[in-house]
Amino acid sequence: MTVTSRTRFVNPRLGTYFGIFASSLTGLVLLLIIFEQLGTSEVVLRWCMLLGPLALYAAIGLLVHTREPLDFFAAGRRVPAGYTGLAIANTTLGATGIVAMTGTFFLIGFDALCLMIGGLAGFVIMAVMLAPFFRKFGALTVPSYLGRRFESRAVRLLSAGLISVPLLLLLAAELRMGAFAAGWLVGKPESLMVMMLVLAIVVTVVMGGMRSLTWSGSAQAIAAILALIVPVAIVAVMVTNFPLPQLTNGPLLRALVHNEAAQGVPIVDASGLTFLLPGEGFASVAKRFTAPFGNVSPLAFVVAMLTVMAGVAAAPWLLPRVTMTPGVYETRKSLGWATVFFGLIMLTAAAISVYMRDFVMDIVKNGPPTSLPEWMRQLTELGFARVNANTGSLSFTSFEFGRDSVLLSLPVAAGLPNVFLYFAAAGIVAAALVAAGAAAVTLANVLCEDVVNGLSWEPLPREARLWLARLAIVGVAVFGGFITILAPTDPLRLVLWCLALTGSTLFPVLVLSIWWKRMNAFGAMAGLACGFAVAVLTILAGEANILGIDGALAGLLGLPAGALGVVLASVATPGPGRGMLELVRELRIPGGEVVYDREMRLLRLKNRERD
Amino acid sequence: MMERKERKPYWRHTKWQMVASVVPFLVLIIVLPLYAASLNTEKFLGFPLGYFLSAHGIAIVAVFTVASFVNRQDAIDHWHGAHEDT
Repeated sequence: MTVTSRTRFVNPRLGTYFGIFASSLTGLVLLLIIFEQLGTSEVVLRWCMLLGPLALYAAIGLLVHTREPLDFFAAGRRVPAGYTGLAIANTTLGATGIVAMTGTFFLIGFDALCLMIGGLAGFVIMAVMLAPFFRKFGALTVPSYLGRRFESRAVRLLSAGLISVPLLLLLAAELRMGAFAAGWLVGKPESLMVMMLVLAIVVTVVMGGMRSLTWSGSAQAIAAILALIVPVAIVAVMVTNFPLPQLTNGPLLRALVHNEAAQGVPIVDASGLTFLLPGEGFASVAKRFTAPFGNVSPLAFVVAMLTVMAGVAAAPWLLPRVTMTPGVYETRKSLGWATVFFGLIMLTAAAISVYMRDFVMDIVKNGPPTSLPEWMRQLTELGFARVNANTGSLSFTSFEFGRDSVLLSLPVAAGLPNVFLYFAAAGIVAAALVAAGAAAVTLANVLCEDVVNGLSWEPLPREARLWLARLAIVGVAVFGGFITILAPTDPLRLVLWCLALTGSTLFPVLVLSIWWKRMNAFGAMAGLACGFAVAVLTILAGEANILGIDGALAGLLGLPAGALGVVLASVATPGPGRGMLELVRELRIPGGEVVYDREMRLLRLKNRERD
Repeated sequence: MMERKERKPYWRHTKWQMVASVVPFLVLIIVLPLYAASLNTEKFLGFPLGYFLSAHGIAIVAVFTVASFVNRQDAIDHWHGAHEDT
């Protein structure tokens, strides 16, 4: 029996180090505010705000370079619960979640909650049904886990091939959103910014792998959260004299409700499977904020929620993050922290959208205004909003906002110094780097461990393994950059497809691999193939308007298809042998040696005996 | 390390804990937004109640569900001797 002293390796100075980082970031922002007041040119301020934090992340990533495989692929299993939770929450959100959700809350109000509730539910399901067992197994990637669990190379290769599709979608979405923010910040074209972000990811992550990703990701997450919360907290103090915007926007929301009713903002009722999330491009306020089910019907609300839940719970870019915790207990706690951070950020995004709606509605509160407020003129100049004067007198329908510009509009609307606007953009870039980095490193690990080395249960020799993984990271990041430049698509749509695909392909297979002993390799392959195929077909049919189901609701058909595939194929083929049953029983118990570590230990012994 | 004869009771206990954590939460998140329109006429802390419960309320319930699951499952692990060594 091995004695595992779980927390003896966790670095006790983590708090100090991240305190230093947060102070450096705060110092940078304060310095830039001072320089702005002193009249420094805008170009200098913008470039400093973009490159300063990037330099900090790269420094952190490069300082934790490593040559040990366990450090490179699993951060040495030394990441405490809080940091893991922070990383999981921010990776799930990414820049798309923060930016597009704020805009979606602004434009359609209550209906955007299906995505927030879906994410929270995904973490709850992951905590209870998936993550602790994944940690006990200890595999470094999801295909690795599936292959070893079912003792089948075919399952490993098939799952590796199938999950590369949603990972590429996610990478493209996050790079696009990050390039949008960075491109706006420094005034360069988006394609150049995509390549710059790819370079930033590669430099930060290539020397230390998952270890670099984790620690630089924690720094990026702290930067993104600060950039999100600080401007809206200042606005909250200005408007309500109390700095907790998530709680104090209540009376503001009620006033907004009265305002909307007075001006005749419509109450719309959606039916069937209507799922009209706002796309890119300008749109005006569509319905009242707190009125539910205007753009999204009740059935579509529930289906979208369950699809996002399944996608987040089974996400192959999130599950391996829990293998970096010291133990199963810390894994469960880390998902609690993930839920806390995710809820906090989403509620802040909702608060920002309430303040923005209130600002906009105030313009036309007492009838059409004689002249537009200064901040509205500035927003039009910046390209965030548009005033449609065709309708004669100005009403709430005359003001159109870009969905992805609402987050950046708040500091302007509140009259804050420009540096807060730049800080918000830098925060979006940080969030994009967290999610894009996670997608790139996960896909690179899958490529190097499960595709190149997929036919062998033994890992490659140490140096070869690490350099192959580094090469894969560079290749995946550059390839992702090319796809983003060649085929730009709405990031929110890409993320929803990615979650639908992941949920349909992996969720039934992963859940049943732990909770159903009768499942075997044929069941896994059938589940993966059926779930993926049905989800892809539903998304394509949704885009071609054949079925009337929006692509984001593909889980409606994909999840049952995957589950049916698993059950029917497992029951129709011979049951698992004793070895596999023992593996499942071991998987279900938190105590004892981690399965992957034991396999590696036995491999080392075997290789030593052979010499 | 846990004795063999504890394996079945441990898994039964864990399975029921999973059901007890997941099912009420799922029922809540599906049913509550459907009633949000009628709840919106009441107010709480200045918020329309339906919106407040669906957004802030479900976030708090999610954190509470995971936290209580973590504590309960750890107690179950220790009861059956299935916990990790520290």
